[in-house]
Amino acid sequence: MAGSATPNMRDRPRGLSTLVFRAALVAVLLGAIVGPLAGLVLWSVAERWHWPAMLPQQIGLKYWIRITQGDLLTALNRSVTIATVTTVAALVAAIPVSYGAARARLPLGPVLLMLFLLPQAFPQLPVFASATVLFYRWNLAGTFAGVVLIHMVGGLVYTVWTMTAVFRAIGEDVEEAAINLGASVTRTFFRISLPLAFPGVVASAILVFIYSLDEFTGTLLVGAPYVTTLPVYMYTASLGYELQIASVTALVLMVPGVLLLVLLERFLRAEYLAFFGRL
Amino acid sequence: MNAARPVEQALWWLAAIPATMVIFVGFGLPLVQSVVASFTRDGVLTLANYELVYRLYRQDVVYTVQVAAAGLALTFGIGIPLSGYLRLHHSQTAEFLLKVPLFVPFVVVGHAMRIFLAPRGTLLVGLHALGLASPDTTLAISEGALGLSMALAWKHLALVVLLLMGAFRGVSEEYLEAARGFGAGTFRQIWAVLVPMAAPSIGLAVVLSLTSMLASFSIPLMMTKGSGPQMLMIDLYYRYGQHGDIGVASAIGVVSYLLAAGAAYYYLKGIAR
Repeated sequence: MAGSATPNMRDRPRGLSTLVFRAALVAVLLGAIVGPLAGLVLWSVAERWHWPAMLPQQIGLKYWIRITQGDLLTALNRSVTIATVTTVAALVAAIPVSYGAARARLPLGPVLLMLFLLPQAFPQLPVFASATVLFYRWNLAGTFAGVVLIHMVGGLVYTVWTMTAVFRAIGEDVEEAAINLGASVTRTFFRISLPLAFPGVVASAILVFIYSLDEFTGTLLVGAPYVTTLPVYMYTASLGYELQIASVTALVLMVPGVLLLVLLERFLRAEYLAFFGRL
Repeated sequence: MNAARPVEQALWWLAAIPATMVIFVGFGLPLVQSVVASFTRDGVLTLANYELVYRLYRQDVVYTVQVAAAGLALTFGIGIPLSGYLRLHHSQTAEFLLKVPLFVPFVVVGHAMRIFLAPRGTLLVGLHALGLASPDTTLAISEGALGLSMALAWKHLALVVLLLMGAFRGVSEEYLEAARGFGAGTFRQIWAVLVPMAAPSIGLAVVLSLTSMLASFSIPLMMTKGSGPQMLMIDLYYRYGQHGDIGVASAIGVVSYLLAAGAAYYYLKGIAR
């Protein structure tokens, strides 16, 4: 890997123009990336902001207090509950598939793995619209279970693929040693393989949890009109021109991602990052 | 590991059933159903849905492709030189900043860009604070194709830079040394060495971004107003949500599958060559 050890690979000393260019680059990036997000912060505290004032005339936490009460709190609670249930269900369902595929125990394992990529390969909206029609027939539309199911469709991609990679990384020799010592395959799995895979399990749990928290398309269609998660709540607020409420919700939705970004920088492997492009 | 016994084999199959069922019930079946529904009207096989799509939405197909193409041009026009520069001149701050959009959900990007690019949005506030805009300026970006492609590029740039940086880091330092030996500057090193050597990865990043932009829904939904041309997914949503017309909605969906498949096909053809 280049970069980390030798930050600048040129031998000659950096000129002033290079330094200025780099400073300008970071400044432009800062403006372009933080700028739109800073707008959210400004709107979230703008109690009164009428044209032609360039800044809010009255600033306060009136809209932030809404998190602790009423419909925003309900949406937050529902989002967290759905994300938790989805995470546990997606992990439990994925582990046998991943382990089976990683150890070639599952005939057609590779085909099965491709199947779980489908929801990422196809445009989601038309499929979820069609799923909603089916869910109405099965009395799943507008229910908690229906939303969890649709979140699992997208979430399983993350669990199945990361867990397969994790199980592949665990040496088969450790398992063989346990089996040679008389442990059954099942006992070996629960006592040896699963504990070794724990960091990977945590990583994929975080991925699914955040995916579920941010999921919008499926929830909007399948959850309507009874299951309102935070993203759907934000959309409704924005539709009604409640820009402050929408901005507060947007910032709340960003919290887990920002925490994870900081965590990833310190602890986790960069490979998992690419998965986030799809959130 | 020794070959699995039949009973164990059967048990693994059983344990894999729930996950497979979820994908089948929540994705496979609806996918097939949407293709069937696109050819059905009042229980009869017909092309009527597609006729309607052609009549009402053909301009929106063009518009969707245009927005995605503009978003792609922005993403890669910025992403390639930027990743190349950062490959040659490491900057931790810049790389950290570029990762941020990865962790901002699509809906949030849509809302943030809506208020950022609004006629009197927060971008104007910022420009005004820097003395770059007069108080009576207005911007008309947020609701048009430009604002949409900017928002899409903002979100996709992070993943693209991540993929490109990975590919560029895979290019051996020796080639770059050689290029520098011949007097190549940063620009020449990027265009003459890094880009050609990382071409397959760039191709993959283009296809991934293009399919995602063509099928984008939450960003346009947060940003678009009622009138004017729309992205296909918005048409689909209103066709289904307001008219309850799953037939035409599905036909729009099939058009979007074909657009995505077309992008993937060109990529695979490129690899095969």
